[in-house]
Amino acid sequence: MTRQAFLDRLRAGLRGLPSPTIVEIITDYDTHFSEGVAAGRSEAEIAAALGDPDRVIRELRAEAGLKRWEEQRNPSAAANAVLAVLGLGAIDILVLLPIVLSIAGTLVGFLVASFVLLGVGALMFAAGPFFIIGAPVAAIVLTGLALISAGTCFGCLTSAATIGFVNAVVWYGRLHIRLLKPALEPPHLDQKEIVA
Amino acid sequence: MVEAVQVQLKKGVLELCVLALLSRGDAYGYDIASRLAKGIGMGEGTIYPLMRRMQTDGLVDTYLVESTSGPPRKYYKLTNRGRESFAAQQSEWTAFSNAVNDILGNVE
Repeated sequence: MTRQAFLDRLRAGLRGLPSPTIVEIITDYDTHFSEGVAAGRSEAEIAAALGDPDRVIRELRAEAGLKRWEEQRNPSAAANAVLAVLGLGAIDILVLLPIVLSIAGTLVGFLVASFVLLGVGALMFAAGPFFIIGAPVAAIVLTGLALISAGTCFGCLTSAATIGFVNAVVWYGRLHIRLLKPALEPPHLDQKEIVA
Repeated sequence: MVEAVQVQLKKGVLELCVLALLSRGDAYGYDIASRLAKGIGMGEGTIYPLMRRMQTDGLVDTYLVESTSGPPRKYYKLTNRGRESFAAQQSEWTAFSNAVNDILGNVE
């Protein structure tokens, strides 16, 4: 593969990332080619030593996704981070996928429920006194208020749980990037396990 | 599967190696890639995502130096946090590899 082909492939694979990030990354690899050529290697040799561009792209995208989630906590960054980690294609993530999906589904369900609570509460608060006949107005308005606050409270708890959940996925992704830490249990423990 | 485990293992060790290399002096991307990737048997391309990650984690800092032979070189240097992380990971690694070597020695 030529320098141009490698860089084009990289640029195509990184589409969608912030443009300063793409420029930085392309500059890194472009400089790498210049240095390699100056050291007397051919473009094809350098490209081969760099490895599979698709793997490089997956790692760069995963890193960019995790970084964005750390900088800005919003739904699109969260979705991005989770997708990027899944994109790393680690085998055990496939095993975890049903669990991840069911937790995500539950969270979405909770979110919908809290919106419904909010809506019903608001309706009761605003329009209840005109339509519900036979109950004291104060009781209806207060019930409406109670439903609104229950909905808000439930929504907040769900958001907190969602942030925790995305953090857990991100943490898991980082674990894949750095396997060294979990491998470093206290040595005497390892020995005991193996002897037993 | 075995191959995937090896890739993950090497990736983890790669960060420790980069920290070690930078603890002996600042270095630029091509230099790090060609000195390390070959020794460990990783594609040179994986060095750059790793360097970006380490920069995000605050372990390294970068600065540009004009080069006579081409475009300016981006040098990486350890931050204080990077030095602390290196010291911690180095002692962890030594303890871990000693334990594994002991066990391997007993088996032989």
